[in-house]
Amino acid sequence: MGNIIEIEHLYKSFGEVRAVNDLSFRVKEGELFAFLGLNGAGKSTTISVICGQLKKDGGSVRVGGVKVEEGMDRIRREVGVVFQNCCLDKVLTVEENLSCRAALYGITGDAYKKRLEELREMFELSGLLDRTLGKLSGGERRRVDIARAIIHRPRLLILDEPTTGLDPQTRRLVWDRIESLRKNEGLTVFLTTHYMEEAADADYVVILDSGSIAAEGTPLELKNTYAGDYLMLYGVSKEEAEGLGYKCEQVRQGYRIYLPDTACATELIRSKPEVFRDYEVIKGKMDDVFLAATGKQLTGGEVK
Amino acid sequence: MTGLKELVRRNSRLFFKDKGMFFTALITPIILLVLYGTFLARVYRDAFLLSVPEGLMLPEKLINGLVGGEILSSLLAVSCVTVPFCANMLMVTDRANGNINDLTMSPVKPSTLALSYYIATLRSGILVSLTAVAGCFVYLAATGWYLSVADVAFILVDTLLLVMFGTALSSCINFFLSTQGQISAVGTVISAGYGFICGAYMPISNFPEVLQKVVGFLPGTYATVLLRNHAMNGALDELGTYIPAESIKLIRDSVDCNIYFFGSRVSLLTMLLILAGSTALLMGVYLLMNILRSRTARSK
Repeated sequence: MGNIIEIEHLYKSFGEVRAVNDLSFRVKEGELFAFLGLNGAGKSTTISVICGQLKKDGGSVRVGGVKVEEGMDRIRREVGVVFQNCCLDKVLTVEENLSCRAALYGITGDAYKKRLEELREMFELSGLLDRTLGKLSGGERRRVDIARAIIHRPRLLILDEPTTGLDPQTRRLVWDRIESLRKNEGLTVFLTTHYMEEAADADYVVILDSGSIAAEGTPLELKNTYAGDYLMLYGVSKEEAEGLGYKCEQVRQGYRIYLPDTACATELIRSKPEVFRDYEVIKGKMDDVFLAATGKQLTGGEVK
Repeated sequence: MTGLKELVRRNSRLFFKDKGMFFTALITPIILLVLYGTFLARVYRDAFLLSVPEGLMLPEKLINGLVGGEILSSLLAVSCVTVPFCANMLMVTDRANGNINDLTMSPVKPSTLALSYYIATLRSGILVSLTAVAGCFVYLAATGWYLSVADVAFILVDTLLLVMFGTALSSCINFFLSTQGQISAVGTVISAGYGFICGAYMPISNFPEVLQKVVGFLPGTYATVLLRNHAMNGALDELGTYIPAESIKLIRDSVDCNIYFFGSRVSLLTMLLILAGSTALLMGVYLLMNILRSRTARSK
């Protein structure tokens, strides 16, 4: 699998503020890549450089093997972007919006009709095409916005917090469609999100803090490196839980034991099997990874 | 070309479908119509009657033709500029609501995008202004028609030129705006101020001398005067058969059919050249600003 994005030693400053500082990472073709960071961490600046809307101060950025400063016209045809806020025209109908955007990529006539039909099925747009965009719900609008972003069949889809503000059901629907696109069309997805459970499903995660990488790896690697495991013990007494010798916390129906890693859990189970009548070992969460890597907690975009 | 055609179509649709934008564009002409309907028409009518010798009875049709010509010229002088200004606010709205990010992510060149705003604004301005011209012609035909074929042709030329001027001027001003607050501020200033300084609400001859000299430097002033001449010439010529030429000259001066630049009367040809020249200059400035912005963006 080749790399669709290759960033080497990227620098970008705004006056005295260094927004991106020696950033290097690669995104493999076909993968779901999650880019995490607080507001101001440098995510949007990096995306703007990738999209050619900002010029870098230093380093190298290649998309599909093409340098952004040399082949932006080609890159634009291979990239689709879903921005944080829907950037379609609210007073036009869904169909008018999509036909306009398709024409900007030279997709007109029968080619447009065929693509519209595909998108109509993929995003359940049947009842929406003749409706004014401004009258759609947030979830419907988001579906149309994603359809707009992939109307030209890009190889890379950049999603800038695509599910912020959506209800859980719509978030699931949006993710189902994105997953299906990845599987069926080999689309690479570059995601920024504040929802840690979305990042947990990614193939690779980069956590950005103050313009630099604070941590990177697969979700499993990150959890193993930055977050301990939990051992949930049920049907035991307080003495038995505390007797394991690790930090423990009473929860509704049992105790949560904090362990440094899975090997430690295995060792405990072997050494005191009589305590482990009903239990489960749970990997640390991406929230814990983010907290450990940056010292900051990310919940819906707010620093805690 | 498909991109440009589609963008022009999008921009035009947005202007006519966005009720807020469309009615904001029409607010100044509507205010003017209300003013004329309530008292300005009567004021002008009385002014014309006062300028004719006592006891001379003028035909009602002639009085209507004079007043109607003045209404037509004032209405067009305002709407040909304020309508393009409001239509062209779309370029600012796109920046303010972030839609521009999507458009600039497509393979469409920035110059095509800039041109699409210009053409769409011009198209919307021409459509609305020609509708206004048609409405005014119907009104004149019903009340007092004194226009020759040449007058009609010149009114159409003046209208097209003034819409082009308004489009070029608004393109240059809107180029620097990027927020909803700025849209409101500039929209209000243009809507409220332009009708006054171009002499649509009140003849320039009634302005203080200093202000008359100042507005002499504004190309829009000459557009109003051109329209007034072409809309009132026929009726004034007819009036000349009832009253002496000196009186006609005084009336022409008072309704801005004649305009003086530091004491020298400006000819109609000069006015046309000023309007066409300033339009070409503003279009060049808009082009230059886009080239410079494109270079600056590449080095940002």
